[in-house]
Amino acid sequence: MDTAVATRADNLRATLWRPLTGASRAYIAALALTFLLGAWGLACWGYQIFRGIGVAGIRRPTMWGFYLVNFVFWIGISHAGTLISAILRLTDAGWRKPVTRIAEAITVFALMIGAMFPIIHLGRPLVFFWLIPYPNSRLLWPNFRSPLLWDLTAIVTYLSGSIIYLYLPMIPDLAELAQHSTGWRERFYRLLSIGWTGSDRQWHALERAMHRMAGMILAVAVSVHTVVAWDFAMAVAPLWHSTIFGPYFVAGAIFSGIAALLVVLSIIRRLLHLEAYVLPVHFDNLGKLLFLMSLLWFYFTVAENLTTWYGNSPAEMNVFGSRVRGPFAPYFWVMICCNFVLPFLLLSSRRMRTIRNVTIAAFTVLIGMWLERYLIILPTLSYPRLAAATGFYEPTWVEISITASTFAAMVMFYLIFCKLFPAIAVWEYKNGSHR
Amino acid sequence: MVLTADFADAQSVASAIRALKARGYGADEIDVFSTAPIQEAQALLERPSRMSLVAITSAVVFCLSAIAFVHYTQHDYRIVTGGMPIFSWWSTGVIFYEFTMFGSLTATFVMFLLESGLLQRGRAIPAPRLEEGRIYLRLICQAGDAVPAAEYLYEAGAAKVDEIEERP
Repeated sequence: MDTAVATRADNLRATLWRPLTGASRAYIAALALTFLLGAWGLACWGYQIFRGIGVAGIRRPTMWGFYLVNFVFWIGISHAGTLISAILRLTDAGWRKPVTRIAEAITVFALMIGAMFPIIHLGRPLVFFWLIPYPNSRLLWPNFRSPLLWDLTAIVTYLSGSIIYLYLPMIPDLAELAQHSTGWRERFYRLLSIGWTGSDRQWHALERAMHRMAGMILAVAVSVHTVVAWDFAMAVAPLWHSTIFGPYFVAGAIFSGIAALLVVLSIIRRLLHLEAYVLPVHFDNLGKLLFLMSLLWFYFTVAENLTTWYGNSPAEMNVFGSRVRGPFAPYFWVMICCNFVLPFLLLSSRRMRTIRNVTIAAFTVLIGMWLERYLIILPTLSYPRLAAATGFYEPTWVEISITASTFAAMVMFYLIFCKLFPAIAVWEYKNGSHR
Repeated sequence: MVLTADFADAQSVASAIRALKARGYGADEIDVFSTAPIQEAQALLERPSRMSLVAITSAVVFCLSAIAFVHYTQHDYRIVTGGMPIFSWWSTGVIFYEFTMFGSLTATFVMFLLESGLLQRGRAIPAPRLEEGRIYLRLICQAGDAVPAAEYLYEAGAAKVDEIEERP
């Protein structure tokens, strides 16, 4: 028996599988709290279905409010995982090991949450299945020309791909977990590991599939947020009808995705005691990426606003004015601070890129990116081309509750995930140990 | 007859595979089991894969099916389009693209299941139970070749060679 390799593997399992067993009081309290918040959100949605969409603050002309802001925000967050993980896998970045699974799980949960919002936003959510193309009793087909159908197909493709992409590299770990578990956990892991034996055929097939899927999922991830951008850009509305909206949204999505990944990584590192695996170098590297995306985001924002200002079109200037010096100005300048000024101060120098500073910068970026989504949607709807139709939007307690509950749901999903599955792939750390 | 040889390192396994291949054993008769991927074994065994071909074929099939389906539905129930075409590549290109990618992704997953042998339930030859740090080579051979084959495996560095029973 090669004792050095075996001891190393035992240590790996002891550290990375420790969170799977037992549950501290803090864990149970956090799970209960997030569950209650999530349940409150569901109750609020039930109230909205019962009373009608009027209990939300959306009304003419601002027919899209918090729900659509959250939709765009969560779909953006979903770019954390699969996209970043795919880039790191394709470039064979050696430091990716503790990052990829944590990131891929964010994608799946954020997509599940994000995909709920168009349904919550519907006046009659119970008939959402009319979007699905099947020969129904009214002999109607969905309108495939509608960006809403584009969203449906893009999100279904991305969600399916992301689940497979999360599941595939988990199979070897699940088989090993089954070997070391008893009771329901053994049955559960054995079922999910679908008969994995560790043969070279299986490893070869897994590596081939992961490499190909990484390439494909990149293309899908870019398309998903481009399609979300086109939901807006296809309308001839002031500041929406823009050719750079697709890349602008994709850049913003990657930006917010990296920020979400850094926040989750920081919390998980502390709570699951993964300090030996999630190292300062991971925060430094991801901090550099975040800084790069902050610069790119700022470039896009300047390009978008500068061309609007030079164009001086009355309809667009109404919206522009409302953003930079009107009722939406406080949000706009907070967004600039959160997305550019603070990340610039905290991430531009190597000395400043500590774990704490990178996490703070990432957290402010999340706030800034939510505000960015808010500022893309609301000002344009509040100041439409017909000046007489100007109106304002204020979210109601129902929308705020549902929004808060989705953040709680994200935490709850992650708490459950970390209790059932190792947050870091054990086999990836063992890769090469036989040499 | 099935032999299972126990090795401590990847180089010994590579030597064993080379020796077995030199004596006429093919990749179908050799399997290597480990708790982490062994690149040396994968390179020597050169297992053919149709994953890319099937993924591309599936992508094309899904794309063509999506085009046919959308074309049919748009003509089956004509929506007022204000003078725009009933069926337009511009307005439905996204749907075709997503279907293409969906076909490619699902085909890759299915090919992974097929090529890894995970879908073959009730295999006749049992897999060895893996121990950390060990690599197992499984060889399917004729009963009369078992003794010389075991010798090759020992020569290559196997710590132990066992005969295992095939399931009925």
